[in-house]
Amino acid sequence: MSISRRSLLGAGLVSPLLAAPILVSPMLGRAARAQASAGIIRYGLSAFPPNLQPWVSTGASAGTVKMLLHRSLVSYGPDGNLRGELAESWAHEADGAWVFKLRKGCVFQNGEPVTADDVKWSIEQIAGEKSTAYMRTQFQQIERIEIPDPATVKLYTKEPQATLPSWFGNYNTFIIWRKSQANEPIGAGPFRLVGQERGSSIEVAPFDKFYKPGMPKVKGIKFIVYADENLRNAALMSGDVDMIEYVPWQSMAAVEADQRLKLDTQEGPFMDVLFNGTKPPFNDPRVRRAIAHAIRREDIVKVAFFGRGKPLEGVPIVEGTPWYDDKLAHGWNYDPARAKALLAEAGFANGFQSTLLATAQFGMHKDTAEVVQQHLAEVGIQCELQLPDWSTRVSRGTRGQYDMAIHGVSADNNDPDGLSVVLDTSLSPTHGRSFKVDAPRTIAALAKGRAEFDQAKRVAIYKEMQAAALEEVPLVGLAWRQQGYGMAKNVSGFVNLPGALSNSSGNMLEQTFFA
Amino acid sequence: MSAAWLTRRVLLTILTAWLVATIVFMALHMVPGDPAELLLSTSGAMPDPAAVAELRERLGLDQSIMTQYGRFLAGLVRGDLGNSLVDDYPVLQEIALRLPRTLELIIAGTLIAVIFGIPAGVYAAIHRGGIFDRAASWVTALLLAVPVFVVGTLLVLLFAQTLRLMPAGGFTPFAQDPAQHLKLLALPAVAIAKGLAAVLFRMTRAATLDALAHDYVRTARAKGLSPGRVLAVHVLRNAMNPVVTVLGLQMGTLLGGTVLVEYVFNWPGLSTPLLRAVEGRDYPMVVGIVLTISVLFLLINLVVELVHAAIDPRVQS
Repeated sequence: MSISRRSLLGAGLVSPLLAAPILVSPMLGRAARAQASAGIIRYGLSAFPPNLQPWVSTGASAGTVKMLLHRSLVSYGPDGNLRGELAESWAHEADGAWVFKLRKGCVFQNGEPVTADDVKWSIEQIAGEKSTAYMRTQFQQIERIEIPDPATVKLYTKEPQATLPSWFGNYNTFIIWRKSQANEPIGAGPFRLVGQERGSSIEVAPFDKFYKPGMPKVKGIKFIVYADENLRNAALMSGDVDMIEYVPWQSMAAVEADQRLKLDTQEGPFMDVLFNGTKPPFNDPRVRRAIAHAIRREDIVKVAFFGRGKPLEGVPIVEGTPWYDDKLAHGWNYDPARAKALLAEAGFANGFQSTLLATAQFGMHKDTAEVVQQHLAEVGIQCELQLPDWSTRVSRGTRGQYDMAIHGVSADNNDPDGLSVVLDTSLSPTHGRSFKVDAPRTIAALAKGRAEFDQAKRVAIYKEMQAAALEEVPLVGLAWRQQGYGMAKNVSGFVNLPGALSNSSGNMLEQTFFA
Repeated sequence: MSAAWLTRRVLLTILTAWLVATIVFMALHMVPGDPAELLLSTSGAMPDPAAVAELRERLGLDQSIMTQYGRFLAGLVRGDLGNSLVDDYPVLQEIALRLPRTLELIIAGTLIAVIFGIPAGVYAAIHRGGIFDRAASWVTALLLAVPVFVVGTLLVLLFAQTLRLMPAGGFTPFAQDPAQHLKLLALPAVAIAKGLAAVLFRMTRAATLDALAHDYVRTARAKGLSPGRVLAVHVLRNAMNPVVTVLGLQMGTLLGGTVLVEYVFNWPGLSTPLLRAVEGRDYPMVVGIVLTISVLFLLINLVVELVHAAIDPRVQS
């Protein structure tokens, strides 16, 4: 058995052994906890933002900070539904336009009012030919922007887009003052950047002209970067910080057991198996379906996530949403006999040899891959594990240099259209989507749902999409994993947003306060 | 020491530095992984290939390797290591910010190691076979055997999480809060010191035992010198030579060996950007940092050689 930091901390057995007398110098003998926070939240961030460009995706941690500095037309509220921000209302009009009415009295952090011109300019920057923005593809669907008056923006799209408002809920879609310098975007968020220690910490203070009265509720937030998950958790447990993101699964029980702390988790991100459709036998949906039935998901939840998750035996639709269907959600139930029968039907009664690509850089990817490898072996599929570093994993995924791959991801939001990014294999290849796998009915249903504005019809369409995906298998769902925020008991008002929106919870920091 | 010899050594150092830079540059470009794609894929995002292509062009990554290498060399000659591909921050500035923190950690660790390792080694040698000697030998074996990340984790668990005496890790500039700065420095410095202290202990013990066995020590004692004077003047002066050499070499090794300690304790030295840059294939940052570490290492070697040459003229031949 090898000893790793993770197993050591996971066991939680070492601390009692350490209660031996230790010589500590008088200076160090004083309580070393950071001083009382004086109304400033100390937040343990998992990564220092590579940059804070408002439209370029540079990770969820960067997103958390960006959500405080900037605002978009809408955002997600505590219930996971869209709520107005710079826009106070929005509607889809008969002529096909999405119309956003801007809120009165919103100002950028330089005091300039937020106008429809700023909205138009921001959209144009995101959609621009030279843009590297995350939402570039979606925003290029906007054909025309009209400004009937300074407080109204009308967006006309090339195709009907039922989920367009949710584009503005993404944390890479902020409205920026149109005369901002290239490297100094000026936003309208509740906090302003007041300082940063490169690589270590970022400090923000309230913006006094923020448009929501009484917000933000704290005197500031200091983000302190702890890249190591165990250290981040130790910082929470020792009182160095008031809250942290991404509580490691192995430490969740300890956080729950600590009377000074509380844990808020959501099952949003999920693990899945991807296929290379250009490599037989993975071009055969029967083989992909066999794999879907061959894996006992409980083992993944137990091994990779310390029980902090739940099996995913269907398309990753969040339970409790209108699109969820219990029967469809278990369409790929664990059934090795069925898996063998499907393999036999496809001409592989004796199984076959293959490779499984994951990465050793992230424990959850490696652990998941090992469980999948074991279960596939039981139905006759012998996989060689390939575990390069993450950079190589990304590169090989995008270029289709694999047979099967393990991936972990979160949809863009809880609407099934947010799953297009993982299910629509007709989109250009990326590391997080199966490579050139044929799934025409799934893709057609996704497109149909995107163009449908009637909610009841959309529900029916997405159930149809799930049924198609269960047969075409553009991916195999494995497990939902919990995403948890740990915080001191006196931190109030913060909500971990439901499902796939967990990464957008940074938005809730404006309403967070010390009880 | 002839001028020709010195010139040859300096030129050799420059040549080695250039070789290191070239090898790292080429090797990095050969391993899979595209910096533009990786940056836009942070946190599992799936970027539009057109956006990736645009970013590649903006960063000059669409040019041939030789063009990029030529640009890198031209910058190097001007003393410019380029800018980070991730946030356009000048590599040289990043190094100027981070290197002093790494050096501070190494110096603090070395001081602790010297304070504990050398006296303990001398004491163990004088009382050879005694309880302290045997216990210390066992402890140093343990210190050398247990990986630094285990020690680091145990220190955090004990002092931060259990006793809540120390912060779990991080960094506060000295000018901002000297006391907090020193508290944050203490645990990583101890983690760094543990291996070095063990090495110094063993080296000192062996060298002292060796010196103690010499005739001149017996003569000194026979002359009636006090035990303290025999130890200070006759034993230690001779025993310290190899210890100081080992110390010098170990400090050089620590320069590249603090990666885990800095990571475990969240100490924002040179290791964090190096690790992040390798993961993100931030070519200029990786090459710049590796080059800096190599040059420092080479300089230490050069100084050691110069000292040797000054002491022993045979080295020059």
